[in-house]
Amino acid sequence: MNRRAFVALVRKDLVLELRGSEVVLAMVTFVVASFVLFRFGLGGGRTAGGTRAATGLLWVAIVFTAMLALARTFAREREHAIWDGLLAAPIDRALIWLARSCSTFVFLVAVQVVALPAFWLFFLQDGPAPAYGVLVAAALLADVGIAALGSLVAGLASAGRAREVLLPVLYLPFAIPLVLGAVSATTGTIPPQTSGLHTLERLGYLALYDTVFVLFGWGLFEFVVED
Amino acid sequence: MRDRTTAARLDRATCAALVTAVLMPVALGLIFFYVPNDADQGFSQRIFYFHVPIAMTTYALFAWGALNAARYLWTGDLSLDLRSYVPMHLGVIFGTLTLVTGSFWAKVSWGTWWYWGSTELNTFLIIFLFYCAYFMLRFSVDPGEKRARYSAVYALLGVGLIPISVLAVHLGQDVIHPITFTDHGAQMDGSMLFTFLMALAAMLSLAVAMYLVELRGKRLDEQVTRLRRLAEGTR
Repeated sequence: MNRRAFVALVRKDLVLELRGSEVVLAMVTFVVASFVLFRFGLGGGRTAGGTRAATGLLWVAIVFTAMLALARTFAREREHAIWDGLLAAPIDRALIWLARSCSTFVFLVAVQVVALPAFWLFFLQDGPAPAYGVLVAAALLADVGIAALGSLVAGLASAGRAREVLLPVLYLPFAIPLVLGAVSATTGTIPPQTSGLHTLERLGYLALYDTVFVLFGWGLFEFVVED
Repeated sequence: MRDRTTAARLDRATCAALVTAVLMPVALGLIFFYVPNDADQGFSQRIFYFHVPIAMTTYALFAWGALNAARYLWTGDLSLDLRSYVPMHLGVIFGTLTLVTGSFWAKVSWGTWWYWGSTELNTFLIIFLFYCAYFMLRFSVDPGEKRARYSAVYALLGVGLIPISVLAVHLGQDVIHPITFTDHGAQMDGSMLFTFLMALAAMLSLAVAMYLVELRGKRLDEQVTRLRRLAEGTR
């Protein structure tokens, strides 16, 4: 693996974001606005359906905001012909996918630094404190899955007509098992649902999801960018 | 003179249609006039002989489509693209029938059109949505090598999605879906098993016949399009 090329690709995404602030700012605004919308939509007091419903809302908002980031980053590259430059470069195609997955992962983590406390404030501040370590592990594992598979699917969607509509349509079926796993793991961090064995099982599931789709992404991305 | 390969395909399609024409009435006869009522669910349990074979045929079609997608990516043979697309298309039709018959069975057995605690129903729904999305991708890319490649990549992702979805749905749920096939074999008597196997054979042969006919139609369509382009070019 060409380490220098990989670092340069990730750096390119991060520098573009630092200069333009197009993606992360939009993601944070979107996710916080979604929480406010859900909060008003569900009315005052505790969330109907309890902790599980609240964590469901959290992960649905995060999946949607990830799609926002993926669509924007690929569109930006097409607009500025960065994509053509990447394809002309003598690097392994899988590295392009890996770098895109890493930068998306970084964007997601940055968003969650704001989103998780905001979620707590809006939905669960009256309840007991969660198991922070497990919560962070669950969030990171889910982020890896979203970033790895999202980068592959966004590559497919970016070449089609109506690509803005195509990305969510292609990605959401894969988001269902991820959201199920992430909600299950996150809910397990909040008392009284905490259980050591179940927590391990849920984190293990998220790790399995990541492994499967990292392997698929690594193996299949070269067919997405053959042009 | 007739093209030998076309003649061979025609024969296979006709044979499959003839086998279906024999098996389907036999299976229907067995379902309605031979097999006894289920001790627990009564007459309504007969929907099992439609629902389960249709669901199994759907999975078989998706598996065949994914296998041809992998073969396409491996060999680059463009004819495999249609062999991958046609089973996906039929799989979505059979999948719709699975959801409809499953929904009816759920209403009769559990009193509800859909039960979110059922592993089988929910896994099938996720996979069905995935294959519906496959068509969105396919129809948003112009025909040709690129469309074939993108469709194949997406179809292969389904191979990862199926086991992952089964595990996800298992994570926190209560199982009420009837389990007929366990580690100890089929949980039904001889006449029921025979009827079920006949219904499965009829459904599989119907799928094979539809696959061969649609494949031939799509190939003819491609040839007509190519000829039309050639004619326009010489004008």
